Amino acid sequence: MSKGSRDRAIKARQIVASQKAAERRRTVTLWTSVAVVLVLFVAGLIGYTVLSGQDEGKVTTPASAVDEGTAFATGAGPVTVDVYEDFMCPSCGNFEAATGPTLKQLATDGKITLRFHPVAILDRFSNGTEYSTRSAAASAAAAEEGKFIEFHDVLYANQPEENTDGLSDAEMIELAATVGLTSDTFKNAVNEGTYKAWATQVTETFSERGHTGTPTIVVDGKTLTGENNTVPSAELITQTVEKAAG
Amino acid sequence: METTRQIRMAAAWPWISTGARLGLAAVWLVAGSLKIGDLAASARAVYAYQLMSYDTAKIVGAVQPFLEIALGLLLLIGLATRFTAAISAALITIFIAGIVWAWAKGLRIDCGCFSTGGELGAGETPGYGIDILRDLAFLALCGILVWRPRTRFSLDGVLMGER
Repeated sequence: MSKGSRDRAIKARQIVASQKAAERRRTVTLWTSVAVVLVLFVAGLIGYTVLSGQDEGKVTTPASAVDEGTAFATGAGPVTVDVYEDFMCPSCGNFEAATGPTLKQLATDGKITLRFHPVAILDRFSNGTEYSTRSAAASAAAAEEGKFIEFHDVLYANQPEENTDGLSDAEMIELAATVGLTSDTFKNAVNEGTYKAWATQVTETFSERGHTGTPTIVVDGKTLTGENNTVPSAELITQTVEKAAG
Repeated sequence: METTRQIRMAAAWPWISTGARLGLAAVWLVAGSLKIGDLAASARAVYAYQLMSYDTAKIVGAVQPFLEIALGLLLLIGLATRFTAAISAALITIFIAGIVWAWAKGLRIDCGCFSTGGELGAGETPGYGIDILRDLAFLALCGILVWRPRTRFSLDGVLMGER
């Protein structure tokens, strides 16, 4: 074999080898891409399945709830004031301390119908104990015993800080006892989480109505905010109510 | 000399790409795992953009964290790296578009990028600019991987018969 033909043979082998390598790369790229598409499809499907599973919880709507079964009302005045609150939300705690008494006075004076919507958007701030959902559900149990406002107030007076476990069911039952709420029906409902699915539904309704934060205050169907999207003050609410009453 | 520099760069690229791949994997895994525990909150974060109906937002909000985790795992093992990086780039581009939309529309929301976001409290300002810059940095990682998808310690490498 001459030197020239040997060189040609080596070159030919190299070409064949690199073609084979390229072929292998193409095959691997194709099949790994197919695998990726499958993995992503399955992942999406899992997400969808988990979601569908969550929707199946049986909702027990408290009989005393108004406004499509999402709120508890006090007072019977001509102007409706809707308050959406999460028991974990510090800003709601401040709002209750500053404006709660004014609102309740307006309701007592027959000027407004005050409707509380206990929503649960802050479950992620209670170390996995879902205090927002549990407390909203417990407030429904209190409402069924005619003690919603009392229980609502005592929960805010003892509001846990964010990123703690929140109040345990037992602690909520203890606090309820201090406002004269001691029935077994209430205790069982809290311990069994009877109204938890309902709390989730109230939260969905809240979102569907386009609200994103708590506290949200709505006067006669119009969301009321202070300057720069702040929580409205007691004065502003009173003024708005008087204007709405005409 | 130019040639030795080129050779050095050729040797360095797989390592740079490996860093990009693992970094992007971490981004997806963190982003996904922060949302996966509270799918309802994830849905609310999506709905807050006011781009779709609540029922659609619920599905998107539930599917998204699972997709993010899947992408993170695929990048971690290094399977079809170029393709996975391209999908990542597409997703991140959609996220940036969403933030720009929220910004332009004057919505006051947390982007929900690394949280279940949604609402912002009174006095909080949305950090849209920073969110976009961060997403652009992630996009750059995707770019590196699409351009130079060969990485160390990857399933691709094993399947291609490297080493």
